[in-house]
Amino acid sequence: MVSSPGDRGGLFAAGLDLIVSDPSANQAAEDAEIIQAARNGDRSAFGHLYERYARMVHGVLLTKVPFADVDDLVHDTFVKALRGLSGLRENGRFGPWLAAIARNLANDHYRRSVPETQLDDESMAAQGGSFPGPDMSAAGVFDAIRRLPEAYREPLILRLVEGMTGPEIAARTGLTPGSVRVNLHRGMQQLRARLKLPPAAEKESCDEGNK
Amino acid sequence: MDENNNPKAGKAGGLDDYLWDRSGPVDPEIQKIEVLLKEFRHDSPEPVFPEIVAQPRKLFSQFRISWFPVLGAAAAALLILCATVLLLQNGRSNDEKAGWNISTVAGTARIGTSILNGHSASGRLDVGQTLETGDQSHASLNAEGVGLIEMDADTRLRLLAMGKDRQRVALDRGTIHAHIWAPPGQFVVDTPSAVTVDLGCAYTLKVDDSGAGIVRTSLGWVGFKLNGREAFIPAGAACATRPKIGPGTPYFENAPAKFRAALARFDFTDAGPQQRFADLAIILAQARAHDALTLWHLLSRVDADQRGLVYDKLEQLATPPMDVTKDGILRLDQPMLDSWWNSLGFDDISVWRHWEHSWSETSK
Repeated sequence: MVSSPGDRGGLFAAGLDLIVSDPSANQAAEDAEIIQAARNGDRSAFGHLYERYARMVHGVLLTKVPFADVDDLVHDTFVKALRGLSGLRENGRFGPWLAAIARNLANDHYRRSVPETQLDDESMAAQGGSFPGPDMSAAGVFDAIRRLPEAYREPLILRLVEGMTGPEIAARTGLTPGSVRVNLHRGMQQLRARLKLPPAAEKESCDEGNK
Repeated sequence: MDENNNPKAGKAGGLDDYLWDRSGPVDPEIQKIEVLLKEFRHDSPEPVFPEIVAQPRKLFSQFRISWFPVLGAAAAALLILCATVLLLQNGRSNDEKAGWNISTVAGTARIGTSILNGHSASGRLDVGQTLETGDQSHASLNAEGVGLIEMDADTRLRLLAMGKDRQRVALDRGTIHAHIWAPPGQFVVDTPSAVTVDLGCAYTLKVDDSGAGIVRTSLGWVGFKLNGREAFIPAGAACATRPKIGPGTPYFENAPAKFRAALARFDFTDAGPQQRFADLAIILAQARAHDALTLWHLLSRVDADQRGLVYDKLEQLATPPMDVTKDGILRLDQPMLDSWWNSLGFDDISVWRHWEHSWSETSK
């Protein structure tokens, strides 16, 4: 179903807003329908995409961009996405594509801000090595997450800052649930160590399930 | 249900349920952190996107409010007709006619027979044209919404396409530094020995007179491909490429010298199976945790009977996700390889899988 341009209620009448409560079910197919509607000029469809993906984009940007600049870049990310919708070959891959645009903008913002410094895992880890000690203020905890290796920063920010669940993160970013869960677990272990929090009560590691 | 799509795929004995999906007992430390960090959470309403939504309405309202004189409409129609005919004659779309602005030139550069120098600072590289820098000159090109290309001395660059969704250049020789902010997958560079696809942000690409090349990524990541052989190069890593062979195996430039030397021989020297095995042994022995990048690529490049060795070492360096099995990796199961790559933390490989089929091989 495709609603007509300007028909704000078209997609909602189709019941697609209910899907948010079950992000893993038929996510790709739903995205495909919404994106097709957006391509056809349906403003409500684009609004729906924004509602569905804004937290994910915001979280991805937060991993590298100062908080004060993130809202502007969220806007830029969606503008780029809308302009590039015609180049999206598989509508069902909108989430990973949008995340990649956000990461690209974040990288570019970082490059412009700190042109002589490379943001990679090693430099971040080096900074992490000199982390002065646990600071349990909001800024301190947030800073500690941003000093974690890149693989862990994004899922932890999406989970702990944006309030997304692991299944939502997987559904929105296109990563497998297994990868997201492993990275959340490992990242949280490192964050606990940096904040000098007691380790999780259970000693088992989800990594052990691989053996 | 496919395990990769199963939300419970990563679950092991109820561990971390609260962290995963807020089920199970509340973890007080995680809950405290959640409350603390709420202040950073996204809470902005949907912004106005004037560039996107206002244009059709404005156009529509103009048509409603204004009543064009008959002669004006006829003139406009004639103009459109002429423009269409011209476009068809040229065989190009408007997008293809777009080009890169040459913003700065140090020394002397050349487009065809036109000379550019520091005094004539600005110029334009259109589709089909070639820009060459001299042995002591540099040039800088930019395109709105795409990025910036800096050309070193003695570099030859051709603009192949400049479409809305695809910008393509060919680097015949020399060195370019690309800073790209177009969406991933849109900016493509052909070289004589591989196709380079921007998947991130900033990289340097060098091609010598033999057609051999190397890409060094400084931000984001880059994909390299030729004849089905592909390589992904994240920030801090490099990858060489050779004509008729294609991309070698990516490596971090701070890897041990012995590791890099053995890898170069493994990729590009045909010294027989014994030497190849000896080089693989050096690579595996020297590999650090960070070199999971290289080992992941080697999984699909070594002989089948050596794949288990690579798997065992990679497993030590980077535990595979729950949905990855040794049997699957040994038979090069693509979803499992992709899942393992995604867990390495470089970037999401689905970006590449989504677009790679749309690129042809090099234009040569």
